[in-house]
Amino acid sequence: MKRNLQFPLLLVVALLLCGVSRVPAQDIMTGRPQLRGFLFGDVVYAARDNSSLTDGFFIGQLVGHGNATLSERVSFFGELSATARPDGYAFEVERAILRYDFNDLLKLSVGRYHTAISYWNTAFHHGLWLQTSVSRPEIIKVGGRFLPVHFVGAVAEGSLSTSGFGIVYEAGVGNGRGTNLARGGDAGDNNLTRAYVLSARVRPGHDLGLQVGGSAYLDRISVTSGLFDERIATGHIVWNRGAPELALEYANVRHEGPADETFDSDGWYAHAGLRLPGNLSHWKPYVRAERLDVAAGDPAFGAAIPDYRAYIAGIRYEFDILAALKAEYRRERFAGGTELNSLFLQVAFALGHGGM
Amino acid sequence: MKGEIRMLNQSVYEVCKLPFLALLLGAAAVVPRTVQAQADGAVAIVVHPDTKIDNLSFDELQRIFRGERQFWPDKSRITLLVRAPVSVERKLVLQKIYKMSEEQFRQYWIGKMFRAEVAAGPKIVYSSDMARDLVTAIPGAIAFMPADMLSTGVKVLRIDGALPGDRNYPLR
Repeated sequence: MKRNLQFPLLLVVALLLCGVSRVPAQDIMTGRPQLRGFLFGDVVYAARDNSSLTDGFFIGQLVGHGNATLSERVSFFGELSATARPDGYAFEVERAILRYDFNDLLKLSVGRYHTAISYWNTAFHHGLWLQTSVSRPEIIKVGGRFLPVHFVGAVAEGSLSTSGFGIVYEAGVGNGRGTNLARGGDAGDNNLTRAYVLSARVRPGHDLGLQVGGSAYLDRISVTSGLFDERIATGHIVWNRGAPELALEYANVRHEGPADETFDSDGWYAHAGLRLPGNLSHWKPYVRAERLDVAAGDPAFGAAIPDYRAYIAGIRYEFDILAALKAEYRRERFAGGTELNSLFLQVAFALGHGGM
Repeated sequence: MKGEIRMLNQSVYEVCKLPFLALLLGAAAVVPRTVQAQADGAVAIVVHPDTKIDNLSFDELQRIFRGERQFWPDKSRITLLVRAPVSVERKLVLQKIYKMSEEQFRQYWIGKMFRAEVAAGPKIVYSSDMARDLVTAIPGAIAFMPADMLSTGVKVLRIDGALPGDRNYPLR
């Protein structure tokens, strides 16, 4: 067996074992650490009208996560992914979080996170089964560099909830982007300047399904032309009551160089879905519009992030309680070029259980 | 003399008989009505006896059952016990508290655990007896069970000031 296949198989087996292991309530009494987990996966078929792009069947991402309750207040969360590449699989520790819960208002943790800078990044993570559409919006796509997807450091978070009103906050200090701007600084801060993130979201009325939130992110990044200050501001409005779902998110990324040069880039998406009523409740049609405008000459983004426009329409069919089939049409334009039409079919699923 | 006494006893018996029968009938009418009121589809919210709380607003109850509130006021962790699928009381709790279908409920907790918003999902229990046993054994535990299966050892919470036998109790 090839070496690059051994690890994915071991990963899958380990995650399956942890995912399907039942945790009887009696374990609460023993005081032993409890482990629960899920495995997420997807298979995609893609057809594009541009022959220079690869199409056909793709094994998407296999993602496993496990929650371990070590004591009443200490818990560990881990998430690993295996992503198919032309030469094998790429493995990533997506999240590894050790957390101490003081109370609802304050929980302190250290580790590797999905940056609390985007609604989509922290609502769906790598669980494609959780999200309605086939893929993430361009501004927060996995492997993208417009917004920092991962954050390595320490985070304080908590929630304050009163009758009909809830606030959730996260504040973190970490390494910021790595030498490769698409990655978090896993191996330390590459420029000795810490990154800070602060996000908050408000939920007025628990039954309304409405959430309004925003975040700010400060860092200094290293690019070939020197050190640039990075300031990111995002905001979102989400309305999700089960049947209708609306998500609007906007992000502005500003880079300021040593000679006071400033580059402003903006991106947004608007997503709407509707779960059909009655006997058709397993069907959810959806649409999404996206736009990304990158500042010309931005030394951090350069040609790596082209301007982007997309219109997406699709339908999700939940043929099982933990599996969904999605069909999605995408009309995209990169860097003002010709339009690219694509059709995607995706089966996304979750395995395991959480004691529900 | 004996005949007079017998007649007096008869008279006393006749006089006392009616109110005694009325009392018996009244008691018979009242007790079943109370028990019936409790058993009439009501689901009681029960907690560990040491939990220093007697009443929850319905909004607080929702936040606890949805995992949005994970600690009691004394900073002890809340352990949520939920009946396995198919039980009548689980259906009622999903409908009234969660306002979700069975599928939405499972998806909700998977999402919540995947987002690391909770260290663990609800603990599953397979019977009301198991719920009662665990809620009395685990400090900070909260569970639900049919009101007509309540017994000593558990603490029944008022919801918005009402107990399961009350007319304005929200979980029936």
